[in-house]
Amino acid sequence: MNANERANLARALPPGRELPERREQQIKDFVMAEIHRSAEPARPRLRLPRPMLVLPVAAAAMALVIAFGLGLGGAPAYAITLLDDGTIHVTLNEIRDADGLEADLRDLGVNAVVDYVPDGQRCSPQPRSTDLLPQEEARLGVWPPPQNPAGDGFTIDPAVVGPGQTAVIELSISDDERIASIWARVSNGPVAACELVVDPDHHLGPAPQS
Amino acid sequence: MTRARIREGDARAFEQLYDEFARSVYGYALRLTGDWSTAEDVMSLTFLEAWRLRERVDHDGGSLRPWLLGIATNVARNTRRASRRYHDALARLPPGDDASDFADELVERMDDKERVTALRRAYGSLRRPEQEVIALVAGSGLSYAEAAEALGTSVGTVKSRLSRARKKLKRAAGPERTWPQEYEPITREA
Repeated sequence: MNANERANLARALPPGRELPERREQQIKDFVMAEIHRSAEPARPRLRLPRPMLVLPVAAAAMALVIAFGLGLGGAPAYAITLLDDGTIHVTLNEIRDADGLEADLRDLGVNAVVDYVPDGQRCSPQPRSTDLLPQEEARLGVWPPPQNPAGDGFTIDPAVVGPGQTAVIELSISDDERIASIWARVSNGPVAACELVVDPDHHLGPAPQS
Repeated sequence: MTRARIREGDARAFEQLYDEFARSVYGYALRLTGDWSTAEDVMSLTFLEAWRLRERVDHDGGSLRPWLLGIATNVARNTRRASRRYHDALARLPPGDDASDFADELVERMDDKERVTALRRAYGSLRRPEQEVIALVAGSGLSYAEAAEALGTSVGTVKSRLSRARKKLKRAAGPERTWPQEYEPITREA
């Protein structure tokens, strides 16, 4: 079939529509998160105290588990693990204590703001910084994780966050309190606090440009 | 190399596969469904299915695009069944932006609006396998061999479906100078 014939046949097809770049990225984040999720073993409904759960499993594979965020009841909300390649993996056991997580990351030299965004909401205002580096310039989120940590979490590369810069991390949280997707960028300037507002589109980061 | 890595469950290789073919899968899904929102679902489900079925990728072969478009074909044929498998996952997919249907706008730009409208109506009335083969060959630019791979059928079947579909479209569209008077033979591709 020659090009003219193809073109004529194509005229019978419904008109196309370019998939907006941000929507393409959004679906990619979703697909990769689901793939990551499918690779995990089924999680027990009852969450065990994190030291019992993480350390035996991860000791062989990870360099060092250095911090646990302890809640009022003594159960750890998260664990921070330094991986061999210098990246940092954060395992979330419960969706709380973002302030503690930020403080622990700061102790590791990473100035970060972390926000949990429940389904149906988003952070406001957007964008939260006037100077966000493009992902190609500073790939903060690491996917897939260089190692295979157990549990729900995310991995970041602290090397891309320079002095005076801030890692901005928004985590989409599903109804069953798991990470649905992550949006992570590096900001050169100050970062506005996240005020959660209702948003049926549930965007992470600045809203897509269609 | 890519095939082997995907077979082994290399997520980074799969991410590259997405980067390379997401738009192609979306475009194909849109041509099959005619609805951008459904096409997004088909695209998402196609890649989730591709990951699930990754061990079926042959070690040898060329581009994986026909394989992906074949999965997209099956997903689009039965989006409801595929959605059931990934029901919980789809609930986590953020909804897309609202977008008006600009099909009419595009048609308005064409000087032969009535004819294009007739063609599209005729396309909509084609049998599903005929729509698929036109979307693959004319819309996605696959060769007959690649279309056959995507549809899991023979090159001969692809050609015969295409031939039938073109005759139906020709009848619907009527004579027109840009429409080829003679569609056969189709012999230059395998």
